[in-house]
Formats: sequence, structure tokens, C-alpha cells
Amino acid sequence: MMVSDSVAVDELLLVLKIAFLVLLYLFIWRIVRTASRDLRLPQESFVLAPSAAVGVQASRPGPLTGRLVVVKSADLADGEDFELNSAQLTIGRGNQNDVPIATDEYASVRHARFEPRQDGVWVQDLGSTNGTFLNGTRLDRPRRLTQGDIVRVGETDLRYES
Amino acid sequence: MRNRELAFLIMVGVLTAVGFASVYIARQDVISTSSLTYAGFFFALYVAAHLVTRYTVPFADPYLLPIAGLLTAIGLTEIYRLRPGDAFRQGVWIVVGVSLFSATLFVLRRDYRRLETYKYLFGFTAIGLLLLPILPVLGKTVNGARLWIQFGSLRFQPGELAKIMLIVFLAGYMREKREVLAQGRLKDWGPLLVIWVLAMLVLLETKDLGGGLLYFGIFLAMLYVATARIGYVAVGLGLFLIGAVGVWKVTPHVQDRVTIWLHPWTEHKVYCPTADSFTLRQNCQSFQLVKSLYSIGNGQFGGTGLGKGTFTTTSGAQIIPDLNTDFIYSALAQELGLIGVAALLLVYMIFVLRGIRTSLLAQDGFSKLAAAGLTFGFALQTFIIVGGILRLIPLTGITLPFVSYGGSSVVANFLLLAVLLLISNRANREVLR
Repeated sequence: MMVSDSVAVDELLLVLKIAFLVLLYLFIWRIVRTASRDLRLPQESFVLAPSAAVGVQASRPGPLTGRLVVVKSADLADGEDFELNSAQLTIGRGNQNDVPIATDEYASVRHARFEPRQDGVWVQDLGSTNGTFLNGTRLDRPRRLTQGDIVRVGETDLRYES
Repeated sequence: MRNRELAFLIMVGVLTAVGFASVYIARQDVISTSSLTYAGFFFALYVAAHLVTRYTVPFADPYLLPIAGLLTAIGLTEIYRLRPGDAFRQGVWIVVGVSLFSATLFVLRRDYRRLETYKYLFGFTAIGLLLLPILPVLGKTVNGARLWIQFGSLRFQPGELAKIMLIVFLAGYMREKREVLAQGRLKDWGPLLVIWVLAMLVLLETKDLGGGLLYFGIFLAMLYVATARIGYVAVGLGLFLIGAVGVWKVTPHVQDRVTIWLHPWTEHKVYCPTADSFTLRQNCQSFQLVKSLYSIGNGQFGGTGLGKGTFTTTSGAQIIPDLNTDFIYSALAQELGLIGVAALLLVYMIFVLRGIRTSLLAQDGFSKLAAAGLTFGFALQTFIIVGGILRLIPLTGITLPFVSYGGSSVVANFLLLAVLLLISNRANREVLR
């Protein structure tokens, strides 16, 4: 290789090196610019402290609440009710559920979830075998509950009251 | 969001092309023209991954995938420059990683939270994976640590996968028990401690120090996120220090590492066990670290430029062992300079920031804990290896996420990325609604 060639190669490499570094920093700069806008958004605590969570809840309008009343069940007494305040409520045959229905043979271990949100209480099927029914219609996606809705899980009926 | 992701991926594509072009021009005598197709192929692969995220996780964080792309691109470029043969294998592993990434997104796109149901399965599988290398037939010792399993010519480090499974287990378990954990009754700590002690024993047995530090750090960080008790972290760190001193006292392997860290250079000849003679320590035990420090020093502020660093002696022998796996950071520091590796660390930081943001936005405990654990693990792993190379902490062999050469590491990090994107997708969707 001739001397002039290797000088040209060196210059080209210098240009490429600078281009690489400039692009690298451009990448970072662009991300920081566009991302810093939404970094300010999250105000909820990173830590799951119960006390901290209460503080956060109080400062916001808070999700809508209500309760679930047992209408018909093999396991639970009729008229028994479950508060829906801020936390989610799961129902199923497993005893880790908030509403355990161990003797309901048609229910799955983790059957359905009730989730209070800003806009109301939502019910979602958790991939159960026999499905979750809202007023007789099988759920294919999460649905928002309204006063008096009947949710059927296995052979258990629950009424939602806001 | 996804358009932003595509825009950043295009930038990564251009960067890859520039990097490969530089390596190609600087090393024409060694490398063939077909090398430039690497950049094109690489870009196509990420566009495919992008299409998968478009379909499966439309609301997920748009920066994580391009960052992973950038890191793998930098890694692949450097590996290609160091050992072109390895780059091909790394490329294959990246393809495997992206495929598993896509498969994970497809399978779990509806509700990844069913992972929580299988938490104990994950916990015990993780222990099983960690134990695999100890088995006499499968296991293989590399550099004093027994971390590998080998089937024929295929080597795999199961610890990398075990890390993710352990995080999923911890997230599930701590979510369920966080109130009682915060109260600190021994009964509720049982399962946690059992799996914990098992993991630590396994690590002690395999002599994987970096892994031990990593798992312990992840555990403490997640415990803090779950219980908000800084006292647990203090106690944990105290126990760790006591344990570390204890291990240091009884294990020659660890004593070596600490000596190398504190005194890499000697003026007088000391005993060298590998050569069974007396020589300067920098020519024996701390050879790798010292040469790596020279390599970083040689890069100075601006670096030598990709493809122009010095990694071999005049006779062509490679100076630093394991340069493209554990020590890739020092190769990058030489060729990109301080300014380049500072950018690299910034990119890691942004990844971690986005992960923490995902954890903050996530609505339920399991997602919060999993995102926090995965992110913290990623950050700590980067710190352990970069800190080790820069002689900030004792050096332990561990991979630099997405950059180092190594199939298990690449695949595991893509799985980590997939889970983070799933969590982020759900969290952002709920915020938008």
C-alpha cells in the first residue's frame, strides 16, 4: 500500500470514528429529550409501602368503590358481602384468593378479578375453564360493572352494589 | 410510541453500518467484503422485532428495544473486530434471542401475570438450573468457576436464565407476602430463606462470586421495594459483609481475587501458582487485569478508532484472555476512548431509567416488583463487571449485558427485555385509559 493511500485511509477512519461518536451521542440526546417529558409523569411511589400507598390514594380522586354481595353459593353464606375499596379482589377455588370458594367445583383456581379503577369497578376473567358471566353473558374482555349486575363464577353468583 | 421506536432503530442501523465500515476499512487485510452485509442483516432482524412489538405490545416503552439494539450492535461490532469467527456465532445467538423474545411476547401478550401462578415452579427451576453445572457429566469448569454445562460442542451458562426465573419467583412471593414480610415474622420468611440459602450454597459450590453478589443485590433491592424497610437492606448488607469476609477467609480462590484487586503490581517477585515459580504478579495472576488497564489507558480520551486498537502482540498472539466476553469493556474503552464508553454507560443508564419508570407506572405489585428486580439486576450486573474491570471492586467474571460475547447471556437478556416490555405495555395502557 502506498503512503498516500494509508493517509487517506487514516483520514477516512477518523471521519468514521467521529461520525460513530456523534451518532452515539445524538441517540442519547434524542432519547433524553423525548423521554424527559414523560419521566415527570409517574407520581406513584416506587416502593409498595402500605402507608405510602394510602397517602397516594388520598391525594387522588381515588378509584370508585362498592361491594359484592353473595346471591347464591355453595361455599359462602347468602348475603355475605365483600368490600371493594382500593385493592383488587380475586375470586377462585384456591385459598390465596381474596374470595375463596373452595367447594365450588365449577370454578377455576384463579377464576376472576375485580378491579376498582377511577372510572368504576371492572371485572375480568383470568383464563378460567368455565368462564365468568356478567348478567348471563360470558366475558371475553374486562367489563365495567354497574349497580345490580350479577357476576357468575362457577356456581357462585355475586351482585355488585356501588 | 412505536413510530418513535422505529426512528431510533433506524439510527441504530446507521450506527451499526458506520461501526462495521470502520472495522472493515481498518482491517481490510483480515476481513472479507461480505462483512458489510452483517449490518444490513442486523437491521432487518430488529425491524422484524419491531413489527412483533407493534402487534403484541403497542403501548410498551419505545426506547428499550432500540437501546438493546444499540448495545448488541456495539458488542457485535467489537466482537467482529476482535474475532470474526465469534461474531458469526454471536449473530446466531442474537437471532435466537430475538426469536425467543418474539415468542415470549406472543405467548404472554394477553396477560403475563399468569407467570405469577407458577412462581414456585420458577423458584425451584432456578435452583435446578444453578445446580446443573455441578453435575459431573454436564458441568464444566472455566477459570475456576463451575458455571457451564456442555452438550457436545454447545456450551451454556444456565445461571443467566436462573436469574430471570428467580426474579419472577421473588416478585410473585413478595407480592403475596409483603405485608407479613414487613412485620418480620419468621414463619413467613421460611420459603424465601430456604430458596435463598440454597441459591447461595450453590453459588459457593460453583465459586461464582459475581453471580452471588448479583443475586444478593437483586434480593435486597426487591425486598426494599416490597416492604419499604430500609432496615432490611442494612441488615442484609451487614450479613453480606460478614459472609464475604467469611468466604474470603476460607477460600483461596477469593483471596486471590482480593489480592489481585488491591495489589495488581508488585516490585518483588512473588510465588506464581500457575507457573510454579517466582515472578512479578503483573506477569502472572493479575496479568489479565493489568493488561486490560493498559488497554483502557491506551484509548485515552478519544480512543484509537474502531479496528485500530492494539490487542495482539507483534507476533499476533492475543494479549488479554477473554477479551470478547468479560473484558469487552476494556476493548471498547481502547477503541472508542473515554468519550465512547461514557456514552455506552449513559445508554445503560437510560435503559435502567426506563425500567424504573416502568416499575413506577405499573399498577399491581407483581409487575412493580418484577420490573424493579429485572432492572436492578441489569444495572447491578453492568456495575459489577465494569467496576471490576476498572478496579473499583474485585473483579469477577460476569458478562456485560447485550454487549459481551456469549449465547446464554444474550438470550437471557432478550427474555428480560420481553418481560419488561410486557409490563410496560400494560402499565402505559392503563395510564392512557
